[in-house]
Amino acid sequence: MTRKLRCHAIVLGVTVALTLAGCGGSGDSANTAANSGGLEKTNITVGALPIPDPVSLYIANAKGFFKEEGLTVTPKTITGGAAAIPAIENGSLDISQTNYVSTFLAVSQGKKIKLVADMYQAAPNTFNIMVPKDSPIKTVADLKGKTVLVNNLKNIAQLAVTSQLKVAGLAETDVKFVEKPFPEMGNTIQSGQADAGWITEPFITANQSKFGFRKLVDTMTGQTADLPIAGWMATEEWASKYPKTLAAFQRAISKAQQLASSDRKEIEAMLPKYTQIDAKTASVITLGAYPSELNANRLQKVADLMLEYGYLKNPIDVKSVIAAPAAG
Amino acid sequence: MIRARLLRGAIGAAGFLVLGELVIRFGIGDKLDFPAPSAILYEAVRLLADPEFLAGVGTTLTNWVLGLLLATVIAVPVGVLLGALTPLERAIRPVLEFMRPIPSVAIIPLAILLIPVDELMKISVIVYASVWPILINTLYGMHDVDPLAKESLRSFGFGPLAVLARVSLPSAAPFVATGIRIAAGIALVLAVSAELLAGGFNGIGVFVAVAGSGNRTDLMMAATFWAGVIGVLANVLLMAGERRLFHWHRMRTGAAES
Repeated sequence: MTRKLRCHAIVLGVTVALTLAGCGGSGDSANTAANSGGLEKTNITVGALPIPDPVSLYIANAKGFFKEEGLTVTPKTITGGAAAIPAIENGSLDISQTNYVSTFLAVSQGKKIKLVADMYQAAPNTFNIMVPKDSPIKTVADLKGKTVLVNNLKNIAQLAVTSQLKVAGLAETDVKFVEKPFPEMGNTIQSGQADAGWITEPFITANQSKFGFRKLVDTMTGQTADLPIAGWMATEEWASKYPKTLAAFQRAISKAQQLASSDRKEIEAMLPKYTQIDAKTASVITLGAYPSELNANRLQKVADLMLEYGYLKNPIDVKSVIAAPAAG
Repeated sequence: MIRARLLRGAIGAAGFLVLGELVIRFGIGDKLDFPAPSAILYEAVRLLADPEFLAGVGTTLTNWVLGLLLATVIAVPVGVLLGALTPLERAIRPVLEFMRPIPSVAIIPLAILLIPVDELMKISVIVYASVWPILINTLYGMHDVDPLAKESLRSFGFGPLAVLARVSLPSAAPFVATGIRIAAGIALVLAVSAELLAGGFNGIGVFVAVAGSGNRTDLMMAATFWAGVIGVLANVLLMAGERRLFHWHRMRTGAAES
């Protein structure tokens, strides 16, 4: 709230400066710790999508894990990984959700980003290619020449579908990828504008029950089995400027991840509070895994796949992108 | 007269809703999953008891009002200045005409990159979009001032500032008001669009984005419905204000009852 008031004061002040004013860093001095175990910064804003992946952020807040570390975390709804990178760069977010493909693409373009914690990993039937119930498409090979919907082009969706095409003897260019947000995929496919879609929860369940869509293939099998999907990121500068704050965040998130992976009920209880997924839907959707440590070997698989399918020109050593938790 | 008009309006709206309901329930069948008007209205009423949504409305309206005020504070003086100093206007006009047609929504991604403080970013894009209609209308208003009235005052020995204050400003005021009313609609579009694109702590647009990710088309539509209601109310209020303040203007120009 004070942040808002302060901002409004600023707004009224800069009547003439108009849009290009840019109002430099958002008052870090107010956050410099006088207490709480010497954290460099005690109030942080963390960007997260309104989907099941970042549930630990909300669990850690609700269970007081952040408070125990002396951290006050304000979650902020973001709209996608692409907008999150400028947000951590310009300081409007301290830490943000990201998907690993986006992160590695950004790193290959020279962005100074560090992964600071793991968030979400694929499990069976969490990312499926779905088709209408009466579709003539029976196998992945039948997708040749068809239109497949993905939520983002040249990202995790297209990579996952391509890996399945390869198994069926097809290449990326054998299908036509079209970008559509998840909520619109059902209607687009049902009305015949596309033949199949790469769909995740809660839309897998919704399209099954509303339209009777069937699963063509689980895209997280074979090469992509247990593929790491999403994590938490900060800028390299932020990570080196606030190492204790980062370590506190990492400890609290890791604790919440352990809780989430040991008790699904915790996730189901939390989903209706920060998403519009109601308790009933939360209890039936298929969820991925919530790893409690950031493992370079597992993440390397994502970078290697990206290299194999031409998403990256040069190999990335994932270890160099990770800001590992400080010892102790 | 007014009652008959209201009645017709109500019949039109009701007919539209009934038609929508019938088409969605029976016409489209299983080809499309879209909530019927009755389902949307039901959720819209329930939203009034949702503290998160209400907080969002508060945030969006705050940004909207601040943006609109700021735009007025910037655009009116600039418009008056340019309108009073024709050579200056000639010099600046090309720049204005170039910047004005840039779709304001297109500058949101740029604003996200450049302006780190969320509220400031949102208010800035609202200001950018709302400045144009107010500025252009103020300019028109300044051009429309009766030259005879100005000349008369001058010949009585009034200085340029007095002419400005006594003739030009009152005469341009109705145009300014119209500009603000047009800008109010645009500002609301930008307030919600910025939230849809950038996210945020809360807001109508943030609520719509979250509802979309949770596969709640009915909630998306219900929130959008309230955004529409807010836009209509703002327009009605500003129009009523214009009528009351500038009754003489409509008398003079003989503007038809709209």
